[in-house]
Amino acid sequence: MKFIADLHIHSKYSRATAKNLDLENLYLWAQYKGIHIVGTGDFVHPKWSKELEEKLEPAENGLFKLKDKYAKPIDAQIPKSCRGMVRFLLTVEISNIYKRHDKVRKVHNLIFSPSLQAAKTIQAKLGAIGNISSDGRPILGLDSYDLLKITLEADAKNLFVPAHIWTPWFSALGSMGGFDSMVDAFGDLTKHIYAVETGLSSDPPMNWRLKQLDDFILVSNSDAHSPAKLGREANIFDTEFSYDGIYKALSDKNDKGLVSTLEFFPEEGKYHYDGHRSCQVRWHPKETIKHHGICSVCSKPVTVGVMSRVEALADRGEGIKSKRWRPYQNIVALPSLIAEAKDVGAQSKAVQEAYMNILSKLGNEFFILLDCPIADIQRAAGDVLAEGINRMRQGKVEIAAGYDGEFGTIKIFESGEREHIEQQLSLF
Amino acid sequence: MTKPTDLNDSQWQAVCHRDTHLLITAGPGTGKTHTLTHRIARLAPTLKSSEKILAITFTNKAASQMRDRLTALGLRQSQLFIGTFHSFCLKLLRDYFGNTALPKDFKVARPEDITGFGKATLERISYIKSSQLVISPDDDYKAYQRYLRQNSWVDFDDILREALLLLEDENITGQLRGQYRYIFVDEYQDSNIVQNVFLKKLAQEGVLLTAIGDANQSIYGFRGSRVELFRRFEEDFAPAQILTLQENYRSAPSLLAASSQVIKKSIVIPAQAGIHFELIARIHTEGKLIIHQAATDRAEADYVSHQIEKLIGGLDMNTSRRAVRSLGDIAILYRLNAERIVLGQALEHLGIPYQVSQKPQKHEFYSDEDALGQNEEVLEYNVEKVSLMSLHAAKGLEFPVVFIIGCEDRLLPLNLMGMKGESEEERRLFYVGMTRAKEHLYLTHAKRRQLFGQTLIQAPSPYLADIAEELKAYEAARQHTPKTDPDALQMKLF
Repeated sequence: MKFIADLHIHSKYSRATAKNLDLENLYLWAQYKGIHIVGTGDFVHPKWSKELEEKLEPAENGLFKLKDKYAKPIDAQIPKSCRGMVRFLLTVEISNIYKRHDKVRKVHNLIFSPSLQAAKTIQAKLGAIGNISSDGRPILGLDSYDLLKITLEADAKNLFVPAHIWTPWFSALGSMGGFDSMVDAFGDLTKHIYAVETGLSSDPPMNWRLKQLDDFILVSNSDAHSPAKLGREANIFDTEFSYDGIYKALSDKNDKGLVSTLEFFPEEGKYHYDGHRSCQVRWHPKETIKHHGICSVCSKPVTVGVMSRVEALADRGEGIKSKRWRPYQNIVALPSLIAEAKDVGAQSKAVQEAYMNILSKLGNEFFILLDCPIADIQRAAGDVLAEGINRMRQGKVEIAAGYDGEFGTIKIFESGEREHIEQQLSLF
Repeated sequence: MTKPTDLNDSQWQAVCHRDTHLLITAGPGTGKTHTLTHRIARLAPTLKSSEKILAITFTNKAASQMRDRLTALGLRQSQLFIGTFHSFCLKLLRDYFGNTALPKDFKVARPEDITGFGKATLERISYIKSSQLVISPDDDYKAYQRYLRQNSWVDFDDILREALLLLEDENITGQLRGQYRYIFVDEYQDSNIVQNVFLKKLAQEGVLLTAIGDANQSIYGFRGSRVELFRRFEEDFAPAQILTLQENYRSAPSLLAASSQVIKKSIVIPAQAGIHFELIARIHTEGKLIIHQAATDRAEADYVSHQIEKLIGGLDMNTSRRAVRSLGDIAILYRLNAERIVLGQALEHLGIPYQVSQKPQKHEFYSDEDALGQNEEVLEYNVEKVSLMSLHAAKGLEFPVVFIIGCEDRLLPLNLMGMKGESEEERRLFYVGMTRAKEHLYLTHAKRRQLFGQTLIQAPSPYLADIAEELKAYEAARQHTPKTDPDALQMKLF
């Protein structure tokens, strides 16, 4: 069956996450968004894993569902149009901080587990090594290689996925804390890694430019730190609705179970360009080269973003697809589109109200963004939003690229254009 | 043989010295172990097949490190006995069992075995056994010895004393002198009178002693060690040569200058050579000595943990910056273990991994086959963590970044609630702490501190004033500005 999965999220026990990041809200927001399988995140955290055991029960192979007594009260809040099946899959992200070849490495890695037993084995092992109770995404002074080894030893069906591999500060290939190749990071165990996560600031074509990534399938997840950020990126599968189905789709090079990915516009990501946030220096990689990487304001090296880093490691030109390539669709979160259509802030109450209103009329967010006929959106939500979604689907979006931790800013409409669209369409 | 490139002139001189006893005065970071191992390796080929080298280290860990180094230099195990005083003496008690007055089935009493005696009593008895050759036993002492005998135990201190008794027998001493032609003793400044006499008995009739250490780092007086023994080496072991290693390969010049200013204020400026000398900086990194005053111990702990967060380049996207240090590069030192509690909480709050190292307990000085397996912990993975330890436990270690917390009067020097350190030894302890740092040294103090359930109003340690102002940078607590980062915004949405 066809389903959408977001496999990198966090709980309220991780640093800098929303207090309401609990199973009930994940269950709720997965349905608003149209996600069928959502990662539990943070499964090594003792309090969170206790909550998982308490509130979830086994469903399909390797998947878990929220127990009825916790789900029922939430169901009442969900518009009928959005109600759908939600399953959880055991996931965790580990922050590895360690020194290798005299350089400090900071690499984030995801682990997916097929069973509570497998998750608990990892929990016990990591608990013996370091502190797993302070942060849902624990910081361990452990080499990524050793984490991979522990993961594989704990259960052969565990999946190890290097997270947002281009993020400058915290990733396998990042410019600041990473390596130049996956093999440098994971050595002889690299072959046990089947998938890598592209992160918000890179899209599949950027990753296709590295031969060393040919053997990996690219996955996309939200890395949500609040329920509303679920599904910023996600994966569309068409396979058996189970852990094994996902496992096979990622690990088997001939399996077509992963159909496509839903992607941020990479420019919108926080580290697409280079620069210094505090100096307000935002540079295209070419500009950075011109300045020899030195900030024109503070004279310190700029934070090298994803685009530059990909360019530095790329060993083939644009336009060639990797062996395990999949189609992808760039998306902009519906609240951002509503905000853009209304020309108001994304945090505003008007946006929240319109969001819930549209969902109850049309269905979940992914349906609206991807499949809903434009005419239906026009009727339910007005011409401007419908045109906005139409342009998003066609990739006609202008973005001031993100840099040094600052998200890119999206622009779909020129000033005065919104009124024009309304008038023009009202003629018919 | 020409001088290898990894030895400087003074080290080479120490390596090559022949024919007399030798005291090598080696300041912090001057390549003590490096010199010692090379000297052992150079002397080993001159041994007859029946002869051995006896190398005495301060802890079992140091012994196993030295064993590794010497094996790497090509020495055979059969040429060496490397171990602590305790392990060597225990070997003698076993080898010459028939000559001891020990019960047939004697066992070594571990501290946890002993019940029915108060901590203070045990410490007092242990101090007496380590610091007096002839003991006039009081009732406690007699009761304790009776208790040991009833259980067929010898305690750690008695291992040394019983072995010393063995050396009264000239036959045994003669055999040992024939067997161990060279004796090496590391950390000589921390040896006690029993060990001193033991060495004097052995290092005769052609047996040559090499002792190495630094009187400025003598910090175990409370356990009966006597720094005076270091100072009278020439009298104890005549004829003796004294050589000095002055070139420091550890600390940035400014840090070296600062620690030297502190130790120079020692009241005891002995006339003997090699006690007081300037170290010469051979590492030319840029040092940083930061003084931080916090309002409370809690604020101090917050400051330290946030500095560490900065040093390791932030812990999440919101605080990310260039990482300059890894977790294993950083140590936090303190005078009393009780200072650690608040600190641990602050580190845990940020999720910074740390490990606590204890100062070597007496039982770590001793090892035999049974204990070896327990002592050598096999770690499957190399896990980096920030190190937390008392100043005593920091001896012999080095870190790129060192924090010494609680740089306050009454803590450094210790004079608090009935705990009082000998003032000169306290200064040396602070010096040991300072000289652990390679590049960054943070000296922090709090105005108010909770310790053992009491609130103390604290003044800065007098040692801070001994450091010239131009070497110190004062840093205030970081300003808590409201976060305007994207993830904080992300949380606000809906």
